[in-house]
Amino acid sequence: MKATESENNIQLSEPVCDFRYLIDIVNGKTYLISGIMDVFLKQVPEDIQCINEAITNTDYKTIKSYTHTMKSSVSIMGISILMPVLMEMENLGIAETDIEKIKQLNLKLKVICVQAIDEIKKEKLNYNHAILKKTINKNSKS
Amino acid sequence: MNKKNQIKIFIVEDNNVFALALKADLETSFVNMPIQIHLFETGEKCMEKLKQEKPQIVILDYHLNSKNSDAADGVKVLDWIKKENNETYVIMLTRDDNIDIALQSLKHGANDYVVKTDTQFRKIIFSLFNFFKIMNAKSELKRYKYILIATFLCVSLLVCGVLAIWFFASALLR
Repeated sequence: MKATESENNIQLSEPVCDFRYLIDIVNGKTYLISGIMDVFLKQVPEDIQCINEAITNTDYKTIKSYTHTMKSSVSIMGISILMPVLMEMENLGIAETDIEKIKQLNLKLKVICVQAIDEIKKEKLNYNHAILKKTINKNSKS
Repeated sequence: MNKKNQIKIFIVEDNNVFALALKADLETSFVNMPIQIHLFETGEKCMEKLKQEKPQIVILDYHLNSKNSDAADGVKVLDWIKKENNETYVIMLTRDDNIDIALQSLKHGANDYVVKTDTQFRKIIFSLFNFFKIMNAKSELKRYKYILIATFLCVSLLVCGVLAIWFFASALLR
């Protein structure tokens, strides 16, 4: 997922993900964190693709459904900055109005998601290293 | 592990990230309990396994048809589950904090209703703890019932024995 020129106009200076919630849920188990991150990295680009198509087709029902579902995923990754965006898009989808506003919000959604995916990929690398270290230690002990 | 004692939990949720996180949280929270968790993306897939696996608990998303509009929604799946086995403990999940959805779910037989918020997983765990308490109480009740029946049989046998001895003794004395 690459940001276009108009998306680049939206600047994000701080990290968008807060992994404390996820770490708390799985009690710090690295393999579980890594697994959940994998699913997120697969699912979110697909969801964004579906939202894009729905916007092109002015399909409010699909916009509403996918923004609703995405709220659960982003809450797990602690991307609280996305919540008001998704909520507004969902409400506009329910009201079946203002596709132009939805398009604007979608740009913001994409920029934040691109950054979130980037952060998650970097974080996942740390967990992969931790898992690898553990495996090496286990093997050397046995 | 004894398969009979295993507590089977079905999670029916079309958001894979949420489902996986919930599964991880339950496995972490109930690490000493023999729980077995199955994940399903749709109610239809859940129902295929429900007859075979007979889960004690189903955690069911209300908006199951958000990605696939042809899929059954949470209430419809709830009806199917309750028709199959009314004893199944069902927790309905939704992101909408809406009293109508809560009432509709409870009317259709849901045992609990959890709104997806920051504390969603704690609420589900609390609900499951309550269910396990009820389950324990029920099995204790069953145990006491068996003890009572066994005591009654022992006393009956004893009384019969005493009566038999008395009968034979009096017959001999005659």
